[in-house]
Amino acid sequence: MSKKGILIAVEGMDGSGKSTQAKLLYHWLRAKGLPVFHTEWNSSKIVKEATKKGKNTRRLLPMTFHMIHAADFADRWAQQIEPVLEIGGIVICDRYKYTAMARDGSRDVPREVIEETYSFAREPDLTLYFDVPVDVSFDRIAKGRPRLKFYEAGMDMGWTTDPFESYRIFQGKVSEIYSGLVEEGRIVRLDAEGAVAEVQSRVRVTFDKHIDLSTVQVIDQSDRLAQNLSESDIDWLSYSGGDGQ
Amino acid sequence: MTHAGKLIVIEGPDHVGRTLHARLLSARLKANGIATHIIGLARSELMGEIVKSRTADIHQLNWRTRSLLYATDLHDQIKHEAEPLLDAGFVVIADRYTLTPRIREQVRGGDGDWIDSLYSNTPDPDAMIVLHAGPRRLLNRIMFGESLEALNHFEAGMDLALSSSITSSFLQYQKILRQEFQDAGKKAGATLIPTRHTVQEVHDRIWESVNPVVEHMLQPIDGN
Repeated sequence: MSKKGILIAVEGMDGSGKSTQAKLLYHWLRAKGLPVFHTEWNSSKIVKEATKKGKNTRRLLPMTFHMIHAADFADRWAQQIEPVLEIGGIVICDRYKYTAMARDGSRDVPREVIEETYSFAREPDLTLYFDVPVDVSFDRIAKGRPRLKFYEAGMDMGWTTDPFESYRIFQGKVSEIYSGLVEEGRIVRLDAEGAVAEVQSRVRVTFDKHIDLSTVQVIDQSDRLAQNLSESDIDWLSYSGGDGQ
Repeated sequence: MTHAGKLIVIEGPDHVGRTLHARLLSARLKANGIATHIIGLARSELMGEIVKSRTADIHQLNWRTRSLLYATDLHDQIKHEAEPLLDAGFVVIADRYTLTPRIREQVRGGDGDWIDSLYSNTPDPDAMIVLHAGPRRLLNRIMFGESLEALNHFEAGMDLALSSSITSSFLQYQKILRQEFQDAGKKAGATLIPTRHTVQEVHDRIWESVNPVVEHMLQPIDGN
């Protein structure tokens, strides 16, 4: 198993603000000139097709849900995460295997099964758990939305016939599992209530406390500049001193 | 897990005669009053079409991702088809089950134990048959049946870089597979049956090995 590179994961409930914070963390590290890569849960093409089909026909069951998400993660692990770690880069994962533990676990897939399926994914160097009270994240997601999606609300489990009530039950279970993971010391709790900037400063403090960036090789200034130039339009008028020649 | 029905697994490489013999076994059981259902790789409602139509894409994937896609496919069939039908007393015939997806990746460097763990909560087979045949025989069947053009890159094991010729790669690859199937079959207590004999002889041997499992369920054709 690779010990190279730095692996950071962010976890938390929908509406906890973790994605916003993960992106800010990414931009901060990039601004430092570090080789950093950001990846999100659920994105590969082939799995998306099957997931969509399974959701539309409501055919997905806890076990197939578990497998299909793991397939997606395994794809990202092989294509994106491991290659970056191998060259000593930093990877920020917006959701990691703990999401599977929380969500699939809430759907009664045994923890041993989940651990075994994800056994190839090493424990991150830091996993930030964005903790907000269930009511707060519930309001952020549920407010202003006429309805919740079937699986999103956990309606497949048949806990109740009311989607909003079902979602609350589901999130309650998810939150409980996350709390357990905090107690096991596998993820680090971060108070995610408050303004974005406020939370980001907490993120940076916690990050600095756990992560030593001195081992990561900074990308040469000339390479960074070249990369920035290649991605931007050049103002030739000012470049050549006025006449554009 | 106990259920009224029985799960019969038929494993083996492509062109060995698995699908034909699964069909014959199913037909004979039906004639004897037993309801049957066939499941198999890439046949699920959820994944089957996708896995089949995108075979080339799937072979580009990392072995772990591919294993998980095949596991999803099988789990979908187990949860929606096999388990309810086994409970109802059907004989479910699996035209490939957990052995093929493991062996195919193992010979490509995949971790067999990890792949097995993806199937840890699937029903155990009540009887398991591994069909095998010599590589040249399999190649002859392809040539006679469909012509060599039907031989695909992956089936020939071209990705293992055993040979730059598709036929000699196929022969070497199938030799490795045959050994793996036989070893795994023995370990799992399967009946190993060579398919060099006539279809009827092979079917009779399959029937013979399945018979003890289904005997109590049979309702003879010439009975009332």
